[in-house]
Amino acid sequence: MVVVAGTVLCAPIGTGVLANAGQQAASKDDDAIDPDAMAALDKMGAYLRTLKAFQVRADVATDRVLDDGQTIEFSSKVDMVIARPNRMRVEVTDDIGHRFFFFDGKDFTIYGQAAGFYATVPAPATLAKLSEDLNDKYGIELPLTDLFYWGTDEAITKRIKAADDIGPSTVDGITCEQYAFRQEGIDWQIWIQLGEFPLPRKLVIRTLTDDAKPQHSEILTWNLAPSFSNDAFAFVPPPGVGRITIAEVQAKAAEKK
Amino acid sequence: MKRSGLISALLVIALLFSGSVLSAQRRGGGGAARGGGGGNYRSSAQTNVNRNINNNANINRNTNVNVNRNVNVNVNNNYHGGGYYGGGYYGGGCCYHPVAAAAAVTATAVVTAAVVGSIVNQPPATGCVTQIVNGLSYTQCGSTWYQPQFSGSTTTYVVVNPPR
Repeated sequence: MVVVAGTVLCAPIGTGVLANAGQQAASKDDDAIDPDAMAALDKMGAYLRTLKAFQVRADVATDRVLDDGQTIEFSSKVDMVIARPNRMRVEVTDDIGHRFFFFDGKDFTIYGQAAGFYATVPAPATLAKLSEDLNDKYGIELPLTDLFYWGTDEAITKRIKAADDIGPSTVDGITCEQYAFRQEGIDWQIWIQLGEFPLPRKLVIRTLTDDAKPQHSEILTWNLAPSFSNDAFAFVPPPGVGRITIAEVQAKAAEKK
Repeated sequence: MKRSGLISALLVIALLFSGSVLSAQRRGGGGAARGGGGGNYRSSAQTNVNRNINNNANINRNTNVNVNRNVNVNVNNNYHGGGYYGGGYYGGGCCYHPVAAAAAVTATAVVTAAVVGSIVNQPPATGCVTQIVNGLSYTQCGSTWYQPQFSGSTTTYVVVNPPR
């Protein structure tokens, strides 16, 4: 059965590499899009949609560019438990401390453990909508945001200007297929697990809009049979932790004056 | 005159010292100083591929935060609040470094009372009490009230009129 998967994937790999070599000199046009790379994204997205509950841990590294152009990398670890369609628990650990995001199907809570504060706001019905609202209204970006969108947003395929199948590559001992894409402002690569569980195992995004080209990367570890109780998604403030508000993005703009 | 000169000198030494300690503690502090007072980062790597539009929104947000930062410089000073890192924009809990807090206090001593509406990354480390008004936490430092808030994923403090 491994052989079957290999046979199916081998042909596209070969053509993809050949096509890529031929197009290096050519201008960016539709020919630069390898349909197999696009199909791999679709397959991964469709598979992710079938997961009712999962836990994913991630090692994340994100570059920031200082005013003088120097690039500094910041690392964090993410531990996320999702129960579709409307429950989520996320813990982000970085050099500052621990930060939590809870979504119990009704309310969203952000809790900064080091600061000793939390804020709770009413949440929309689904995780994808929640992710969108948090970003638009409050400027809060949930980690691993793409996981909420794969397989749901058709527009992404329209934004891709180049797509290549780079070939087999191993991430944490797991054989994946590596793909490379270009779209407005970013070059990105994704490593998708080969076989019957086409999970994203690694994502690398290089931002092109700054000369320093800062990079973001996430390496993902999956648990497709997480155990949890409903309590895991509900936030109960620990003693001494105070409730505060979340500043809205519009309000921030007004503060500028 | 002599005495005030001496105090100023000591204060400067204290500021320098606390600044250098911070730099040693976290490279970000040095970067902030080198940035020429602002100490802000000019961009950040895009962290997702599916939401282009929102990343533009993020850029705007960064600008806003930077503007606020510059306001902070008056209250909080560079080596603490100016940094993109210790300044709290990055992490969930802002500014818990005891050294950073100490630096902030030292700086606060040389400025006048905080203006209502201004935003700081951290209120003074001493002389403050937490007050809960209508279920929300406030930090009261003498006659100045700070309302903590999540600003993105981090906390900042807005100087407000007394809520009661």
